[in-house]
Amino acid sequence: MEKYLYITLFAPLVGSLFAAMFGMKPKKLFVGIVASLLLFISFISAVILLVHVASTDEVVKAQLFDWITVGSLNIPFGFVADPVSTVMMVTVTLVSMLVHIYSIGYMEHDEGFNRFFSYLSAFVFSMLVLVMSDNFAGLFIGWEGVGLCSWLLIGFWYHKPDLSRDQNPSISPAWAANEAFIMNRIADLGMLIGLFIIYWHIGSLQYDVVFSHVNLFDISIITMMGIFLFIGAMGKSAQFPLHTWLADAMEGPTPVSALIHAATMVTAGVYLVVRSFPIYSQIPEIGLWIATLGAFVAVFAASMALVNTDLKRIIAYSTLSQLGYMFVAAGLGAYWVALFHLMTHAFFKALLFLGAGNVMHAMDDELNIFKMGGLYKVMKWTAAMMIIASLALAGIYPFAGFFSKDKILEVAFDSHHYILWFMLWVGAGMTAFYSFRLIMLVFFGEERYKKYGFHPHEAPWYMLAAMAPLALLAIVAGFFEHSFEEFVTTLLPEYHFHMEGITKVALIGLTTLIALSGIGLAVYKYSKGGFSEKWKENPIYKLLYNQYYIPQLYDKLFAQPYRELSQIAWKELDLRLVDATVDFIAGIIYATGFKSRVVQSGNLSKMLRWMVIGLLILLVLVVLYSPVR
Amino acid sequence: MDYILSLLVFFPAVAAVLGFIVDRDNIKVYAITVAAIEFVISLILWMAYDPTNPGFQFTEYLPLVPAYGINYYLGVDGISLFLVVLSTFITLIGFISLTVEDNLKNMLISLLFLEMTMVGVFVALDAVLFYIFWELSLVPMLYIIGYWGSELRIYAAIKFFLYTFFGSLIMLVGMLFLAYLYYMATGTISFSIPDWHRLVLPFDYQVWLFLAFFLGMAIKVPMFPFHTWLPYAHGQAPTIGSVILAAVLLKMGTYGFVRFSLPIFPDASIALITPIAFLAIIMVIYTAMVAYAQEDMKQVIAYSSISHMGVIILGTFAMNVEGIAGSIFLMISHGIVSGALFMLVGNIYDRRHTKLLSEFGGLAKVMPKYATIFGIMVMASVGLPLTIGFVGEFLSLMGFYKISPSMTFLGGMSIILGAVYMLRLYKTTFFGPLTNEKNRNLPDLDGKELTSLIALTAVVIWLGINPNPVLKPINNSVESMLELMEKKAVTKEARELLHANTVKLEAK
Repeated sequence: MEKYLYITLFAPLVGSLFAAMFGMKPKKLFVGIVASLLLFISFISAVILLVHVASTDEVVKAQLFDWITVGSLNIPFGFVADPVSTVMMVTVTLVSMLVHIYSIGYMEHDEGFNRFFSYLSAFVFSMLVLVMSDNFAGLFIGWEGVGLCSWLLIGFWYHKPDLSRDQNPSISPAWAANEAFIMNRIADLGMLIGLFIIYWHIGSLQYDVVFSHVNLFDISIITMMGIFLFIGAMGKSAQFPLHTWLADAMEGPTPVSALIHAATMVTAGVYLVVRSFPIYSQIPEIGLWIATLGAFVAVFAASMALVNTDLKRIIAYSTLSQLGYMFVAAGLGAYWVALFHLMTHAFFKALLFLGAGNVMHAMDDELNIFKMGGLYKVMKWTAAMMIIASLALAGIYPFAGFFSKDKILEVAFDSHHYILWFMLWVGAGMTAFYSFRLIMLVFFGEERYKKYGFHPHEAPWYMLAAMAPLALLAIVAGFFEHSFEEFVTTLLPEYHFHMEGITKVALIGLTTLIALSGIGLAVYKYSKGGFSEKWKENPIYKLLYNQYYIPQLYDKLFAQPYRELSQIAWKELDLRLVDATVDFIAGIIYATGFKSRVVQSGNLSKMLRWMVIGLLILLVLVVLYSPVR
Repeated sequence: MDYILSLLVFFPAVAAVLGFIVDRDNIKVYAITVAAIEFVISLILWMAYDPTNPGFQFTEYLPLVPAYGINYYLGVDGISLFLVVLSTFITLIGFISLTVEDNLKNMLISLLFLEMTMVGVFVALDAVLFYIFWELSLVPMLYIIGYWGSELRIYAAIKFFLYTFFGSLIMLVGMLFLAYLYYMATGTISFSIPDWHRLVLPFDYQVWLFLAFFLGMAIKVPMFPFHTWLPYAHGQAPTIGSVILAAVLLKMGTYGFVRFSLPIFPDASIALITPIAFLAIIMVIYTAMVAYAQEDMKQVIAYSSISHMGVIILGTFAMNVEGIAGSIFLMISHGIVSGALFMLVGNIYDRRHTKLLSEFGGLAKVMPKYATIFGIMVMASVGLPLTIGFVGEFLSLMGFYKISPSMTFLGGMSIILGAVYMLRLYKTTFFGPLTNEKNRNLPDLDGKELTSLIALTAVVIWLGINPNPVLKPINNSVESMLELMEKKAVTKEARELLHANTVKLEAK
């Protein structure tokens, strides 16, 4: 079985290196095909592993060689396929494979075609390292690797110039890429400190060693571990206050947004918390704090999606919001629910983004949804699949989101966190509203695009075919809930519900009710021409539209002062103070030498006089310090 | 094999002398051949080195002035072995990428002399010998900056020379006093470093001597606030000068801390951890900010060197195997990465005769190979895992965490601020539209430049994925050094700290 583990892991790397060989050459179609084929191989072997692990309950482990061995630290390149990692592997390779195929069409006319596939496959490799490692350091390799690929792919169209925030809220792809990298680095420092704490207390970074010893420690130490690991998770999963990079990351090509910034990389934080459940289940207070932050982000991000006019940013905020839902489940100890929502969300959110990619193609990369409308007539398939994805996102039966998202609300209610439940409930309504606001504005109503001279067209068949499996999964994935639960709870703790049947039914009814009302409101309002223009003058609208002014605030609070302080540090401190002091001392020495040069005049009588003075000084010294007195 | 170290030290020097009679047109081939042979010898040394033996190997001993305990005494252990290999490797790579035309012969001969002093410093086991090589290394560098530098070269060269010379003189006084103390303790004078390692000193003597050595090392490293000679030296030096200065010469200072300060003055080193860590943190944060403010590419990298040296100091003063081994590994990796970065800046300077950031932008389209290698080196510099830069930084910070979590947090700002100035540099140079017409037709890297840069890239990735061949010998020698320190520590605090400085399962 080790063989399949290595095939899953290294097939994408081979694809990436293969594509890299043609990185500086003009577009070669076979590069995309080969990369996709290798991803297919990787996916198949991941499925074989999943079936094997599920049928035999055996955990597959493999070690390549030792990476770092120093003192008592030993970090091997070790990989593990257990229920949690196989679920992640299958999800990651499946979505990646479909996105690869889709990209062959999406990047068709891009001159960086080969380079794109090299980066994209490298990302899949890093993500697999992240989920398959059997230790925290290996996870960190993948963690930073996906960060690097995200940087490369957000900045893929690096040649675009920097614009002001009014013209482009993300400034430029290169700027957004750097922002994402630096924000993640801030969180990574937290994560590294988490690793240091684990190492110095346990002496190992291997999951099995750490998790089997963790209950031996004082609760305060476990709390520290939990907090610092979660800081790392906050960066990758873009939780408040480190969330601003995710919306800006939409500057990358849309398949990248689908794969990295919706389905896989951003869920790494959730994966980390789920993976470290033996730590987090010891510290329910921190778990509650995580859940509270998650619920806050769920509502906070959804509120920004309500008013945005940018097709991709709306979906990005929606991703943020759904990540919040996952953290609520993980924080409250329902780890398998979090993982389940992670999986279903990967399917329908990737579908939504790929649909958005079709729309962008049709609209010559226009993103303003108010310039669209009525696209249903020309893009029936895309519209149908995006509606499926939106229904799943809104949590309507029988779509996947209904099963996974509803479970999270049930968990919140069942653990008596009614405020969290209420926030999530409101969030569900908002989700339904903004999803269908988008659908209505893009696909129905007046055909505003004609005014702007666009000639939309449906995407080619193979791009639609790449989306079809995701659409299917968005519909049916929910029905696997029980087998999924059974499978992953062989590793993860089970979550026991205490609710009576009637409460459960009532809850489901309430959630469905608000979701349907959200959809109803959106459909009703936007089929009648939408809200009046007066709304745009409303301060709340402005606040939401400007992302609560947080990017501007960060600019004023951190970026600008840092720039100015750096200037002061260089020009005032380093040049004026430190270096000037050195030169000053050197100047004094030089001046002293220059002044005392008169001593060496060469004049005999003067020299004799100096000699006498010197002799006298020596005599005085002898008298003062003489040992015999 | 018995004389391999002498061969390593004096082969470049003899070759340099013979270089005077080599024809001008052949001198480059000659120099590259010499450097290649020297590099191969250092590889043979590495192959023949027994990693399980933590002590000094290939020792050579020849009395010079027996009455004063001055001997010709050479040897390598895990701590110095890779610095030797680094010196010969960087010299070879530097020669291959050399583009200087003016008075090439003199430059190559000075560089070969410089190679002798670099190897000499790392293999000398006699303090006087060490001091001679240490000071001699200034002379070729003075000449290289002063002759081939840009406008302010004389000022920069003199500043470099006098500043570091001043520090070393105080270190020399410390050495003489240490030999005197050895005489008082044993009745014979000795300048042998292994002898000094065994010498137990009272605490107050340790502190004064530590400070004397500290000044010499700190100026060389350079530590804040003694760092201001470095930006001038880098700013004025030709590319090859900067490469060797950053890659090897700075490491003499940090090597000195590990070779002298820690094992000879364990109690003083431990007592002074906090103030030194404080300086190191200033180096990390403050110079990272200064690097961010720079307008010249080369100065960004010059200041980034100081920032990274701060992490090395933190690792060294972690007083545990993880930290010290990490800091030695970081010396190697910083040598490779900063050398490569200076070379890359040199490549663009050769094309445009400017290093100002404002002159560039959008280069990734024009010079994709250059942009790729630069990108890899930027990532290695910010310490991305699976590049060489991660291992040392990770281990250094991890080691220091045991001493002080809060100070490690501040030192760890290096991973954030490093990304800030490096990504800014990369963005302004390579991203955005190509605005400057002069850059439109820049040629990409040629074969000569690629040869040297690909070799460096290969090392960056190879040692990033598999650092153990280097880490193991370092690990063993550092372990035995720490045992020695624990044995000879006189104060209770030092003994307790050294004793508790390993992982222990703290069950509740």
